Amino acid sequence: MYYGWHGRILRVDLTRRQVQAETIDPQRAKDYLGGRGWAIRYLYDEVDPLVDPLSPQNKLIFATGPLTATPAPTGNRYMVITKSPLTGALAHSNSGGDFPTWMKRTGFDMFIFEGRASEPVYVWINEDRVEIRPAAHLWGKDVHETTDLLLAETDPEARVACIGPAGERLALMAAIMNDKHRAAARSGVGAVMGSKNLKAVVVMGRKDPRMFDEAGMRELSVTISKEVGADVKKGSNLRIYGTAYVPQVTNTLGILPTYNWQTGVFEHVSQIDGVALREKYLVRHKPCYRCPIACGRVTRIPDGKYAGEGEGPEYETIASLGSACGVSDLAALTKANYLCNELGLDTISAGMTVAAAMEMYEKGYIPEEHIGQPLRFGDGDALIEMIRKMAYREGFGNELAEGSYRLAEKYGHPEIAVTARKQEFPGYDPRGSQGMGLLYATSNKGASHMEGDVAYEEVFGVPVKIDPLTSEDKAELVKRFQDAFALIDASGLCVFLAVRYVFTKERMILPTRLAQLMKLTTGIDYTPEEVLKAGERIYNLERLFVLKAGSTEDTLPPRMLYEPLPEGPAKGKVVELDKMLPAYYQYRGWDAKGWPTPQKLQELGLA
Amino acid sequence: MRVRVKLIATYRQHLPPGARGDTVELEVAAGSTVADVLQPFGIPLDDSSVIVLNGRTVSLDTPLQEGDTVAAFSAIAGGGEAGKGMPDSSVLESPIL
Repeated sequence: MYYGWHGRILRVDLTRRQVQAETIDPQRAKDYLGGRGWAIRYLYDEVDPLVDPLSPQNKLIFATGPLTATPAPTGNRYMVITKSPLTGALAHSNSGGDFPTWMKRTGFDMFIFEGRASEPVYVWINEDRVEIRPAAHLWGKDVHETTDLLLAETDPEARVACIGPAGERLALMAAIMNDKHRAAARSGVGAVMGSKNLKAVVVMGRKDPRMFDEAGMRELSVTISKEVGADVKKGSNLRIYGTAYVPQVTNTLGILPTYNWQTGVFEHVSQIDGVALREKYLVRHKPCYRCPIACGRVTRIPDGKYAGEGEGPEYETIASLGSACGVSDLAALTKANYLCNELGLDTISAGMTVAAAMEMYEKGYIPEEHIGQPLRFGDGDALIEMIRKMAYREGFGNELAEGSYRLAEKYGHPEIAVTARKQEFPGYDPRGSQGMGLLYATSNKGASHMEGDVAYEEVFGVPVKIDPLTSEDKAELVKRFQDAFALIDASGLCVFLAVRYVFTKERMILPTRLAQLMKLTTGIDYTPEEVLKAGERIYNLERLFVLKAGSTEDTLPPRMLYEPLPEGPAKGKVVELDKMLPAYYQYRGWDAKGWPTPQKLQELGLA
Repeated sequence: MRVRVKLIATYRQHLPPGARGDTVELEVAAGSTVADVLQPFGIPLDDSSVIVLNGRTVSLDTPLQEGDTVAAFSAIAGGGEAGKGMPDSSVLESPIL
């Protein structure tokens, strides 16, 4: 008998059109926590790391955590784990909205999709009633229309995760969208779904997980809500502006990616920040299910050629579609954001790829006739057109859909692409936030802020502001953040809430509250040290998958290592990766080439 | 000497009425420190604020030079510690849902 988890996994064989319910071994459930942890254990055991990511041999795993669909505030996240077609290594993408809770209420913690359907299908999971249904009538439709049609033909109270045209056409930065506007965005998870001819997953159910200590869980959840609520009342930036307040912060520090990372200062930042967005286009705040923070925002552009309605832009989107592309027209970048959501694209990789193309166009590396039009920095119309073409792989869009690494390489200028493990950087220039540089270089999923966001300390002062310009003392910090984020992603909580509970009073990373939540939920006597160790176990198992997939180089692109930032507070800085990496390997218990040592694997129970 | 103070996002409410954008320019006495300049704005000068001088992390007693920019924003971003002395927000009028 399980608490917190259902202990049940749904396996969907799309080739044979068979479904099967399985139970998870209790020891495995405990050691790998759930979510990102359970999923990598299954992926590692069942998928050859050398498999073609877009072949039927790859598997696509949706996974909730033990805290998903519990009273824990923000306990409403799920992960998508698969082999990534963008990086050739590991994808693990996280999303909120409503879908994760609805998914868990089916009575399954995790779905494993394997094989490939012979024609487009969707899977409708209503507790134990699981149907693989034809989706030919949905193929080609965008995310909004697909979602509306599916709710009409299943149940209006259900929730939908689906791909758009980008996923169908195997764009390498295709996302899986849920609840229309939320995205498991990164590393091309949508392309894997498309390769399986799986258009959508629709979920519904009433099976809330059993709590081991229901009263204790409610009490702690109320306490947490009150603490967060107190901050919100006092004026949390996330609550008032959403993540869109961040461009002013990163611009002030000189690390806002601008003109494809040629600088870290954008002169028009005030036109695209959260204040401008709030004044011009904000309709209302919109929380994910059971979230007291409510960082999401519904926006509307009332008129003009960019008229539309949707959610966002978030910070990362402002950085990628805005400053990185030199676009200072908030309406244009917001429209590009809507388009990414509707067509099912990761805004980070999509925007950063267009930014790279813009630089190559301006430098004459890509002839105009290849693109079919001029593509200058700052051209919002061109941005929107490129996003559309990317999703449909139409014309030059077929090159864009391969991501900036392959695009730059194809045109003979690999130095233009700003990627790690072939994945585009998120919106913090690591030349002015050294810890982020080490993070990007070592991240299992390729460049990402969500695999151990040390920007919390280097940029945001949470729990304390540290100097972002020094590479000293960053190695251990990155390691501990990575382990803590693996834990958070396994738990089913949102980082925005969980991160406040992973530090001790002495500001060391030790997730006391998280361990308490896990204990009340599952009944397992987790200590803070144990759950953090589980995070490390998950991180190392992912690392093994990544290394065995052949992605063995922990490095950064030449622009970050050899081209100093030309202006701003970080002027003159490059990432001092060679100073940080050996120390990082040492803290990790990895050898000089970055492989986990036998002793480390033994210690983590991975030998 | 003249210096600039830039108050980001929620901290804009600490700017004097009529300020344009998020930045004001001030005439301050020579030798003024970061703390001296920020004090009158009522910004909490503790770990609930991030304060940078020309974008760099400095201590509050750092003396300013002509033309410097002091910027500040709240570290309470959903990840802050509860109960630290933030003033009531006048911009929190929108409904929670």
